[in-house]
Amino acid sequence: MNITDIVKTLDGTLVAGGESDRTVGTVVANDLMSDVLLNDGDDILLLTSLASDQAIRTANIVGAMCVVVHNAKPLPQTMCQVADTLGIPLVSSPLSKYESCVRIHDFLAKEG
Amino acid sequence: MEYRPTILTGGEKLSDDQIMAAHERKHVKRVSGPGLPGSGGQGEPLVIMELLQRLRVKDVMRDHDIISVVRTDTMHFAQNLMKRNHISGVPVVEGKRLFGIVSINDIILALEGGWIGEQCQKHMATNLVVLEEDMPLAFALKYFENYIFGRFPVLNKERDLVGIVSQRDVTRVLMRELTNELARLEGAPGTEQQGAEHGQESSKSEPVLPYYSMRQFVVVRNDLTNAGKAANAIKKMLGDAGVEKKIIRRIAVAAYELEINICIHSLGGSITFILDSHKATVIAKDKGPGIKDVEWALRDGTSTANDWIRSMGFGAGMGLSNSKRVADVFDIKSTVPTGTTVLCEFNLPERGAAK
Repeated sequence: MNITDIVKTLDGTLVAGGESDRTVGTVVANDLMSDVLLNDGDDILLLTSLASDQAIRTANIVGAMCVVVHNAKPLPQTMCQVADTLGIPLVSSPLSKYESCVRIHDFLAKEG
Repeated sequence: MEYRPTILTGGEKLSDDQIMAAHERKHVKRVSGPGLPGSGGQGEPLVIMELLQRLRVKDVMRDHDIISVVRTDTMHFAQNLMKRNHISGVPVVEGKRLFGIVSINDIILALEGGWIGEQCQKHMATNLVVLEEDMPLAFALKYFENYIFGRFPVLNKERDLVGIVSQRDVTRVLMRELTNELARLEGAPGTEQQGAEHGQESSKSEPVLPYYSMRQFVVVRNDLTNAGKAANAIKKMLGDAGVEKKIIRRIAVAAYELEINICIHSLGGSITFILDSHKATVIAKDKGPGIKDVEWALRDGTSTANDWIRSMGFGAGMGLSNSKRVADVFDIKSTVPTGTTVLCEFNLPERGAAK
């Protein structure tokens, strides 16, 4: 599952950070950044409702491949700037975090 | 007959006798011992200390148009060369190999002794004190302080002469870097740097762990907009130094957690990051109010964070325990109301040591 698949599956929009050819290794759905930091997985797809610079900085610390913010939350300009600076694709999705988890699970199950 | 210089570098610990022996015929003024890089700088502003550790000798040395003589040139030729170029010494070089140095003192002795027409190889100094190009600038300053020499030859790891560094070179670069640093501290925007993983950084040369590198970051109370910048900068430094990704992640997690802790729980403080070829150290120090019960604070899930902090994705009470979990050595000292200091050390594998 790559960035294009994520955007398509979650009815999302890539708003910052640019394209990337990385694929999802681990999916983390969480709004508590300390919990995200606990995760040892690689190529993390971070599903969150936290629309702040810290979501992107946390993603960078754990080497995440993409951050998705849910419920079409307005994204602060600084968050987009940090995503651009750190080169982390930032996707906005109208779905709830739960719905995103379900769709990603289905996609990955099909992908095998 | 071929002259081979005895070369002493700042990377070696030298006894007073060794140093004096290396300068047998020279009048060497010892002000203090060679010391460790950065030593004696405790009273200096941190920004200067950081600069002296970050800058390398190769950043300040002159590496082109090096004025030199060969062994068969006469002392008179060396004298004229020094006079024309307003310099107080010339290296004796053939190819890239350094054989010795003819100093103004050697010229005076030659004029007095009547051997100004003789070849340099007979009267040049062959016991040399040199610097290595990858040494921190702090080393060079220490050497200018310890010896009366106005300039030092700079060698690379293959022992080739790659430059000359004089006090003027050091002053010029320091002034430039201090101006840049002041501009940055006065609020120049966009100091956040690109992430280090996944090849995003532009590595121009093979990464090498430094002898010693230190940076300090100020963390402002409740400034969540900027919190995390220090950890990201540390991550970038580690990536540039070629440290293994898994270790980078552990260090970055600790730095990030401690930085956020200072931001949301304290009156403000600093993150100090020290990197050498064996170890990375993160020191988080705040100005209070201190932790009443450190053991309680170290337990997962215990936090004094308010709703605002939680709404920003923090305050889950995992910061200290996460830092402890990833570090090889963890230590915390806290006094109410003075403040808290947390130290996290990470061992770096031999593989990553400097070449």
